[in-house]
Amino acid sequence: MEELILKLKQEIIEVLNLEDIKPEDIDNDAPLFGEGLGLDSIDALELIVLMEKNYGIKLQDPAKGKEIFKSINVMADYIQKNRTR
Amino acid sequence: MIMEGKSIKILSAKQISIQNPLSEEWMESPLSYSEDYVRAVDPDFKQFISAGDARRMGKLLKRALATSLSALQEGGIENPDAIITGTGFGSIENTELFLDALVREGEQLLKPTQFMQSTHNTASSLIGIHTHCHGYNSTYSQKGFSFDSALYDAWMQFRIGRIASALVGSHDEMSPVFSGFVRKAGHVGEGEICSEAAVSVLMAESGDNAYCTLEGVRLLDNPSDDTIRQILADMTAGGIDAVMTGMSGNSVNDSWYGFLDKMLPGVPQLRYKPLFGVNFSSSATGFYAAACCLKKGSVPSVLSVSGKTVSCGKGILLVNVVEGRHYSFVLLKPVCGR
Repeated sequence: MEELILKLKQEIIEVLNLEDIKPEDIDNDAPLFGEGLGLDSIDALELIVLMEKNYGIKLQDPAKGKEIFKSINVMADYIQKNRTR
Repeated sequence: MIMEGKSIKILSAKQISIQNPLSEEWMESPLSYSEDYVRAVDPDFKQFISAGDARRMGKLLKRALATSLSALQEGGIENPDAIITGTGFGSIENTELFLDALVREGEQLLKPTQFMQSTHNTASSLIGIHTHCHGYNSTYSQKGFSFDSALYDAWMQFRIGRIASALVGSHDEMSPVFSGFVRKAGHVGEGEICSEAAVSVLMAESGDNAYCTLEGVRLLDNPSDDTIRQILADMTAGGIDAVMTGMSGNSVNDSWYGFLDKMLPGVPQLRYKPLFGVNFSSSATGFYAAACCLKKGSVPSVLSVSGKTVSCGKGILLVNVVEGRHYSFVLLKPVCGR
């Protein structure tokens, strides 16, 4: 799981172009949206693309993203349970 | 609001190009290049854009925003009535990334950020959002005639009294792949530097310490010699110091300006393309250079075809000819009393 969390953080930093942020700067339990990383709705779309492209997870209901993208820990847990690649 | 007979003041003009950015150092110590493809010299964008805001911006958007904010700051206007932008191909690097992904991913899994940036009007809308200017916002994409078209729109908006201030710019980037296409298509010729440029100009009916005044703009498609002669007679009736041309040293391009020798004999000719390179926003760099010369009161020898310094007391006529058939004539005059 730790390996997946690190990989996920690196992917998020790359895909969202978070230039000044390192994986260790991201708190595993901190909210990704609003407070914490302060991501927005366009970032949510980027994360949906990331999940499908890298893990084969297609979110049929984008509204579910609100729960899945709650934090790194929640996201990694969802990926581990639902990944197809 | 501006009426017939009144002029428009150019309050500030800023560039990011192959010369030192946001600076007039080129007038004293221009950078010179031996390469035929040169990318822009970028400033430190962090002084204009936070890391959070910058993460979704390609180079073109950062440059457009930096020149715009810098021009607004110097001109002392926070919220211009209009934002009018020219661009030949917009954020072409993001467009390339988007199209590459389209092919690679089989039209699936496309990144929204690249899609957003692959539209031509992204720069103008970004400037509007960032500066909270929610008035007239327009983008012109007419290849090398884009800035001229944007400027003409601003001119008309002033003339009919719809606006009292405008931020007019032109922004183009040139990726390595795209520069190859541009050369093959003949937009940049032998002996010309394929370059990038972002230029923002703030203009208003009133304001202190203006660079110069905008006295007239004319755009024509395939004009006859008689029409050109009449326009030159009208626009130079009050006298001019020099004509700023789009000549570059390329024989095909320069032949389009041959009429100036016959119709404006003895008038010193200037050229900016050897200094700023050739791209779809080139004429904006010419406008910027002329405005800087009028502010300073003299034209540096590096711009002069004859290699001689020219004094600026009466005005500069800008002539841009694109593809041998699209003509623009723009008259800039010094501020009275300077």
